[in-house]
Amino acid sequence: MRLLLAAGAAAMMVTAIAAQRPAQTRPFAPTRLWDGRTPDFRGIWQVRDTAYMNIEGHAAEKGVAASKSIVVDPPDGKIPYKPDALATRQANYRARATADPSLKCYQAGVPRATYVPAPLQILQSPGNFAIVYQENHAFRVFHPDTRAHFDNTDWWMGDTRYRWDADTLVADVVAQTDLAWLDQAGNFHSTEVHIVERYRMTGADTLEYEARIEDPVAYTRPWTLRTVLYRVKQPGARIIEDECLEDANGVRHHVSPYDPRNLLKSDYSRWKSAGQK
Amino acid sequence: MKVLKETLCALLCIGSLNSLSAQALPRLPDGHPDLQGLWLKSAGGFQGLFIGSLDGTNFAAGGGRAGGARGAGRGPAAPPRYQYTPEAEAERQDRLRRGYEDPEARCHLPGVPRALDQPGGLYPVQIIQDQKSVALLHEAMHDVRIIPTDNSPHPRNYWAWDGDSRGRWDGDTLVVDVANFNGRTWLDMAGNFVDENEHVVERFSLVDRDTILYEATVTDPTVFVTPVQMRFTLKRVPPEQQILEYSCLEGERSLQHYTDEDGGRKRREK
Repeated sequence: MRLLLAAGAAAMMVTAIAAQRPAQTRPFAPTRLWDGRTPDFRGIWQVRDTAYMNIEGHAAEKGVAASKSIVVDPPDGKIPYKPDALATRQANYRARATADPSLKCYQAGVPRATYVPAPLQILQSPGNFAIVYQENHAFRVFHPDTRAHFDNTDWWMGDTRYRWDADTLVADVVAQTDLAWLDQAGNFHSTEVHIVERYRMTGADTLEYEARIEDPVAYTRPWTLRTVLYRVKQPGARIIEDECLEDANGVRHHVSPYDPRNLLKSDYSRWKSAGQK
Repeated sequence: MKVLKETLCALLCIGSLNSLSAQALPRLPDGHPDLQGLWLKSAGGFQGLFIGSLDGTNFAAGGGRAGGARGAGRGPAAPPRYQYTPEAEAERQDRLRRGYEDPEARCHLPGVPRALDQPGGLYPVQIIQDQKSVALLHEAMHDVRIIPTDNSPHPRNYWAWDGDSRGRWDGDTLVVDVANFNGRTWLDMAGNFVDENEHVVERFSLVDRDTILYEATVTDPTVFVTPVQMRFTLKRVPPEQQILEYSCLEGERSLQHYTDEDGGRKRREK
């Protein structure tokens, strides 16, 4: 009977706690680095959605299922462009088969690098945080926000300052070029873009990514996109080298290091003709 | 030669003094030296112009102007004396005349050891380390090498510009074995090159808190008769500085320097 009472009391306590903070919103507690404090986000991560095609969502295409917008604010899932900027986006969209900077093997920029169809790896140690993106071997070194931004540049991957908000990494990104696109559909920002990213583990193998994007030149109001990165768990998985080769027409193509075309076998004449024209 | 000896002593004597003074090296909890930080190649000048080990074995005989080991201020440096096979020597001469075909000028990944053998004092490398890997984030070419330190084997059927790097700790020295090259890289701007049989053993030694001694031995039986030795130091960059972005493809500014004979006009028009 006492046991039953104790169990009942425990159950009531659990109910009381659950009422205070519903179980589904209780934050996941990531493991820690060896300093015992810093959340451990290390690993290889990759999105599973197809937002890289159009973050506002897209219809099904050959081999690709339809996708919803990953824009969570505003609620209609549309980027709140100013009229001129919307016209630019439409022009970009029409020219996307040749104008997308990613076709030229350029670094993807922030936040696009996060949701391209290629993995990224988070490197971490106490006091250090960096992300290496497989696509075009881009990387970002995150600097603590105790020092001011390195601003007034127009970098592809921007300048990043970060802090920890409990177990969420909050990154502030400025100094980006207006040549980068946000996806394959021509969505874009200006050099005035200011992005606040939030990285939060929602489970041992899921990393939620949120970016609040503010740009008084291109948009009428700040907007937010959100997606999920999944841990790549295949044994031996690693970031591989991603380098493009130029063909005879000057067009660049990704050539996997597993592709024998990437190998020149002591053939100097072939060296002269391959990828160097 | 005197200068060379001084340089050599400056490096080695300081190194031995430091080990004698038992200066505590920063270490990770696993006991290995903590190589983390932002580092900049200090001595060794410009790739191709002064490449070579400080013991002089790769400097030209006789005219070896050792000033090359200190930097560009001491006049023209002797070319490095690579011992090429006859066929490779002919190829090297050809590439020397066609320097505009240097793949790094086309923004390609530099390969190893050129990733670290960048112009002295220009492009730093950020090192992030944990118990399983040492990652080198190079400003130049935004080149990345994530080196597992588990002495794991190289993969098969993988051919990369930077090859495949596998590390292990030999005492306090990080030893990295690099293979699986794709045979496309040059060692410098002067036409010195390697092919797909290149094999590199690198040694990273934390000499003191602010100095890494970098040594590389490059062997390539189809190109070199004898291995190429390199050695230079990386110095810690003051903490108020940070790595910058290096966009190459994304903002090409070199092609304008090519002459029409180099094919410059044709390339610019693209």
